[in-house]
Amino acid sequence: MLLALLALSAAAWIPARWSWNEAASLELLAGTPVNCLLVEQASREFAAAAAARGVTVLAVARPGAELESVIQHAIESRLAGVVLEGAFDPAARHLAGRLLAQAGLTLIELLPRAQLRLDSEAAVIGTAQGLWPGIRVFESGAIRAAPTGSPWVETNTGFLRHLRAATDAPIWIANLPPAKTVVPVERYLGAIADAAIAGARWVVALDGELERRLAARDPKALAAWKRIAAHLKFYEDHAEWRSWKPAGQLAIIQDEQSGALLGGGIVDMIAARHVPVRVVPRQRLNAEALRGARLALNVDPASLSDSDKEVLRSFTRGGGTLLSGPPGWKFPMPDADRISLDEAQLDRLTEIWREVNSLIGRRNLGARLFNVSGMLSNLLARPDGRQAVLHLVNYTSYPAENITVHLAANYSRALLLRPEEPSRELALYRIEEGVGVEIDRISSCAALLLDWKQ
Amino acid sequence: MTRRELLGLFGGAVASPAKEPPAAPVAIGKAADYDDDLTAVLSRLFDQLGGLGRLVKGKTVTVKLNLTGSPSLRFEGRPLGATHYVHPRLVGVVLNLLGRAGARRVRLVESCWASGGPLEEYLLDCGWPVRALAAAAPGVEFENTNNLGKGKRYARLKTPPGAWIYPAYDLNQAYVDTDVFISLAKLKNHQTCGVTLALKNCFGITPASIYGDDAGLDEPNENPTTGRAAVFHFGKRGPSRSAPQEFNPASNPDPGYRVPRIVAELVAARPVDLAVIDGIQTVTGGEGPWIQGLRFVQPRVLIAGLNPAATDAVAMAVMGYNPRAGRGTPPFHNCDNTLLLAETLGIGSADLKRIEVRGLPVAEVRFPFPS
Repeated sequence: MLLALLALSAAAWIPARWSWNEAASLELLAGTPVNCLLVEQASREFAAAAAARGVTVLAVARPGAELESVIQHAIESRLAGVVLEGAFDPAARHLAGRLLAQAGLTLIELLPRAQLRLDSEAAVIGTAQGLWPGIRVFESGAIRAAPTGSPWVETNTGFLRHLRAATDAPIWIANLPPAKTVVPVERYLGAIADAAIAGARWVVALDGELERRLAARDPKALAAWKRIAAHLKFYEDHAEWRSWKPAGQLAIIQDEQSGALLGGGIVDMIAARHVPVRVVPRQRLNAEALRGARLALNVDPASLSDSDKEVLRSFTRGGGTLLSGPPGWKFPMPDADRISLDEAQLDRLTEIWREVNSLIGRRNLGARLFNVSGMLSNLLARPDGRQAVLHLVNYTSYPAENITVHLAANYSRALLLRPEEPSRELALYRIEEGVGVEIDRISSCAALLLDWKQ
Repeated sequence: MTRRELLGLFGGAVASPAKEPPAAPVAIGKAADYDDDLTAVLSRLFDQLGGLGRLVKGKTVTVKLNLTGSPSLRFEGRPLGATHYVHPRLVGVVLNLLGRAGARRVRLVESCWASGGPLEEYLLDCGWPVRALAAAAPGVEFENTNNLGKGKRYARLKTPPGAWIYPAYDLNQAYVDTDVFISLAKLKNHQTCGVTLALKNCFGITPASIYGDDAGLDEPNENPTTGRAAVFHFGKRGPSRSAPQEFNPASNPDPGYRVPRIVAELVAARPVDLAVIDGIQTVTGGEGPWIQGLRFVQPRVLIAGLNPAATDAVAMAVMGYNPRAGRGTPPFHNCDNTLLLAETLGIGSADLKRIEVRGLPVAEVRFPFPS
């Protein structure tokens, strides 16, 4: 019961790392949806001031910290809980859980990806091993191309999609801005959207220079913070989208042992081609999970149980196409410090892409998008199927223009929603497989809300 | 060494054609940008060339676009049409004018980079307004000529006597199923060929299904996913055996030798009836964003002519180059001069003294490109 209540409150937390511990810093939260601060040190006064604003404060502890001392301080300062960030040994985690539960405080764990337990009853499933999203650029200034031929987008979405499909818990993805870097505001907006389109929350983390300028109330820094807040609000205003289900007709069956926790894997590769893909964790493989799918990629056939195999047999008997991967499709669990594919695995990924591409071809598996280089998308449907949302994130440093979307369904209405801009209804036109729609411009991100034809 | 190779060593300075190559007039106009009244500017150019109706009325017209490289590669985040592709607005105006001039059917063609899919989808990936283009003239069609496309078989086009590399090329049917062929090109440099203009644009009429790095050994690969460097630039492999092979597969492997000759041969095999060069906005220093040192520029010029070699010669003069420059001279640092090779095959003259420039004089629009 207590766990359920804690989970309920944690589900509403919109987290940010907070480097200040003066009450005056809380003024920055005015007009923002941020309501949960992760602090290194917090006084009782700070916690009280935060509570007066309806803001939760959590203390952060990292490996090597005196855990009992941190927890005692959190209790005395009347914080809401403690965040264990990093690789703690099991005994320390158990101790923290016990002490915090006794005190009625929440334990949040931002674990290494390899230690995530998606079937746990944790208040939040989270990791501090997030990639910093964006277009990968080499030191020479060259842009790395993906196997798909497009600029490669560093993203957490493939990993987060797996988490979203495997657990109903709130998901936090935490990372830090690149060291010694003044991060353009657009990169923060990308980080927010990258998590949100996969149903997760990014733990806001600002670079040191932006923090310094915010503390000085520099107008440009305040404007940047306002934009960050607007993007957080955009997705919080539509929190229901987090529970919407992937609507792509391509299912990928995978698990944590076959590479689902790695970044830049098969799901990211397919998503980079804007093929709407639904992740089906092997543990949740059943007929319902494959309903509406036309193609299924089975990453690790050897891991299937007899009942799993029967589900797939029914799928193919029903007209679905199944592509079972050879052993080379399976990527091992990451080491503690590694979260993306190595060079040899990337070469294998290229081979996998050729096979997948030959299967997919030009088929419209829910949506086909054009002129979306440097962008990612995610197609989700409301559980009753009456609405869908197509998320779009622009990771480039320039606005995306003249985008065309071909939707494989007869939607009757399309509403373009963008942060910082009024919503706008777009004209739909008939195409062979459904309807088409044109989007003139996307600055950072957008959502195309689609109504199903009655 | 074969006779062809011996002649090739001397570039265009040898093998003068028996009679002087044609030197049709070339017209030059200015446009501030792509929002300018391009219809008025182009109409004037075409009128100065004798009128578009004379050329296209009641005819099937094929327009070869210049869409170099993958649409996912942008330069400085600018629209493709502002840098290394022809601009869609200019294409729309050309279509509209062709329709107004009485063209019965207008087919836009390009061998899309690493793709065998429909040209319409490729253009959508470029951010082009495909529906508007389709409505810009009666009978607008789209064909990706990187494979068979909508055709049933490839057309074989022979090269003339004096050709160096291939006796004939197998192309998409669109290039023969037409009365008029237009090269709608970009004014820019090219790393291998020095310049990309109306002649070099025709390198892209070849299907990667046959001439691509992943072309089938015996038969075409109708799903090409690569460019043509192994076959054309370096001669590392031959085209699919279904197509005519090289005269001498062991010939000079230098891309600066091969590619200009292949371009000249292609234009000789598939003559260009009208050349239009988009120099309103473009890049200098290379043909696309993958080239180091590229720079966005705005020459604000449009050039059109009835002979592609002559049109290119005038375009080179606008770029501040000598169109008769030899190898080792800008912009032909490491290659032979395609224009002189085209002249050798009798395609047209690159001699400015023989070419009448109509509209604006070269001096008024000269925009020096890098030397």
